[in-house]
Amino acid sequence: MGLLLAVAFAVPWWACYLTLGLLVLPLAALGRLFGPLTRTLWKLVLPFAVPILLIQGFFWGEGEVLFTLGPLSFYRLGLIFAAASIGRIAMLGGCFLLLSMTTRIDMLMRALVERGLPNQALYLVVTTLQLVPRFEAQAHRIQDAQRARGLETEGSIARRARALVPLIGPLLLASLMDVEERALALEARGFSRRGPRTSLVTLRDTPLQRWLRLALWLLAATLILYRLVSWITR
Amino acid sequence: MIELDGVTFTYAGEATPALQQLDLRIGAGELWAVLGPTGAGKSTLCSLLAGFIPHFYRGSLRGKVRVAGIDVPGSSLGEMSEHVGSVFQNPFNQVTGARYTVREEIGFGLENLGVPRPAMLERIERSLALTGLSELAERSPYALSGGQQQRLAIASILALRPKLMILDEPTSQLDPAGTGQVFTLLRDLVSAGETTVVVAEQRLEWVARAADRCLVLQSGTKAAEGTPSDVLSSPEAEGWGLCQSRFSRAARAAVAQGVTPLGRQLPHTLDQAVEYFR
Amino acid sequence: MNVRLESLSFGYPGGAQALRQVSLEVASGSWLALVGENGAGKTTLAKVICGLLRPDTGRVWVGDWNAQEHSAAQLARRITYVFQNPDDQLFQRTVQAEVSFGPRNLGLPPSEIEERLIQTLEVLQLEGLRSRHPYDLTPTQRKFVALAAADAMRAPLMILDEPTTGLDGPALRLLDGYLARKRQEGRTLIAISHDMDFVAEQFERVVVMAEGKVLADAPAAQVFGAADLLAASHLEAPQLVRLAERLRWPTRPLTVEAFVADLATRRMAEARR
Repeated sequence: MGLLLAVAFAVPWWACYLTLGLLVLPLAALGRLFGPLTRTLWKLVLPFAVPILLIQGFFWGEGEVLFTLGPLSFYRLGLIFAAASIGRIAMLGGCFLLLSMTTRIDMLMRALVERGLPNQALYLVVTTLQLVPRFEAQAHRIQDAQRARGLETEGSIARRARALVPLIGPLLLASLMDVEERALALEARGFSRRGPRTSLVTLRDTPLQRWLRLALWLLAATLILYRLVSWITR
Repeated sequence: MIELDGVTFTYAGEATPALQQLDLRIGAGELWAVLGPTGAGKSTLCSLLAGFIPHFYRGSLRGKVRVAGIDVPGSSLGEMSEHVGSVFQNPFNQVTGARYTVREEIGFGLENLGVPRPAMLERIERSLALTGLSELAERSPYALSGGQQQRLAIASILALRPKLMILDEPTSQLDPAGTGQVFTLLRDLVSAGETTVVVAEQRLEWVARAADRCLVLQSGTKAAEGTPSDVLSSPEAEGWGLCQSRFSRAARAAVAQGVTPLGRQLPHTLDQAVEYFR
Repeated sequence: MNVRLESLSFGYPGGAQALRQVSLEVASGSWLALVGENGAGKTTLAKVICGLLRPDTGRVWVGDWNAQEHSAAQLARRITYVFQNPDDQLFQRTVQAEVSFGPRNLGLPPSEIEERLIQTLEVLQLEGLRSRHPYDLTPTQRKFVALAAADAMRAPLMILDEPTTGLDGPALRLLDGYLARKRQEGRTLIAISHDMDFVAEQFERVVVMAEGKVLADAPAAQVFGAADLLAASHLEAPQLVRLAERLRWPTRPLTVEAFVADLATRRMAEARR
């Protein structure tokens, strides 16, 4: 995580766009995710990109001016800085999206468990992800039941906010009651058994993957070192 | 398979015992139905047989409890789960949520028990076949109907090869189609010698069709024990708070009005009713 | 309170078309059972009537109100919907608070609320549980508390979603008694149910739904006697009807009394021969 961030800032900014264009997007296309990935990336980056571009562009204050808009001047250096920042954000975002869209979360968690993460963490992450939509559905059901007894939920924001208060109790209680039954169901499947566990799904770690991982580590280390060195010797 | 002697259990914080001086003997390879109104102790008995009492629910337990050759109070939940499987009322809550397909869901318990992978694959296929879920193997457990989810719960437990399966009102939240699927499955499993089944239920028509023997509980004590026909036709049956099928109700009314003679055994299934009213 | 549904269509976003051109009329004070397998659209229809869902096309008239012009909470004055799972509905700390929640929303004076509370609890045999926390009660008691809470609204139209699931013998008798009172009070009632025996005994009119459409809207005897209709909607006939079919009777009795009466008639006819 920290490594990824470090790399993002170590790499010269134009390389970010290169990475995006030559690595991330083609991989996405390979996985038939081009459309969803670009759409989500666009939605992710735009809220950052527009303000950064405007602020840096119009308020840079020095250097060459590209054009003027009334009293405001748009600076070239500002544009470059904005492009750099946006590039880094886009690259980071693109990589994360690619990861989350192509990897099944339980596989990712299993890989982490193999490397020492506790088993319960796997369960916690995966079940939370699957249960959140159910939780939402339950909240809707409860609110419907309350509306059917005269609780006004439509109208002003204040009223809608107040209508959320009676939702909390039953939602929590329902979840707690469920928890007991869930815990028992898990017990019935040996969840708390002490002893060695096996895995249905095998994660194949091919030599190619191992080499790739090594190469990536080396590349990242080199880039960061290079940046540090050039920064120190400035 | 099951030996209970003088079992009395009171939940922590309660004044009255949930089970009182209960004696019970259940042999292997049978399908037993536990009947009784709400509060009679059916769920308590199910929890006891599965080991949840006393290892999950606290309270005072007296008497001898031996299930599948294990002394329950002296055992642990982990050990009990290797021999006794439990299926609960709410099909949705039994989906672990930790797996994305039906196949892997069944594998969850096997992984926990440390079953080697080749054996796992074989057992999963077998479970899928026995419960008729083979075609749904790659689906998400959350994309199944209630009846299918209950069958999945049963399949997941079956894969662990339990000597005994305990089901606590498994069809109460299901529609008639789902109910039929579950009961037919349980009957097939017992008939094929896969496991012994104890099921707490309210739906008497199905109980009469599928169960070998019945146990009736009233306020924590045994009120009757025997074959479904004997138990349900007993003159005391009306006082037990059971939801009698329309067949037996019609028969009782017919006898009361003198339309059919007294003394014949009351019908509880469609076939029995056809014979009775011919 | 009469209800008129005109050509309702509704599709869940990103999903199936739950209702297709459903039209229905329910006269004031009449009773109706809505049956069909899971996914047929029964619950969706009920929610549209109550204003919990807005139809894509078509109109809902509750009395003289166009349902779309009122919020679900306003419609609650005219219709109450009792959910299948009581735990979705209960959220107050005592039974008393739960049952008075609805009347309080209606803006009734405390004396009136108290009177309704006493009466509703008595009818459903919950008087002793007034100050108990709903979640400490048994599932059957919770189901009745939810019913009481809806009943206290005294709305002219009630929709019950699977009222018989999870109830044991004594509870079913209690429900029968409660329904008898509602009949006396002249309430309009719609029940959604899988329990065909219950439907046969209590409802003169049955509406069968499948895949979002109304397949049949007819007297119970007619619906349960039509084998192909039941097959098309994946429903099973009530126990007594199935029995009468196997016995090759020309009649289709819907209640135990009707069955015994038919049996008696046949026995007498046989005896004469």
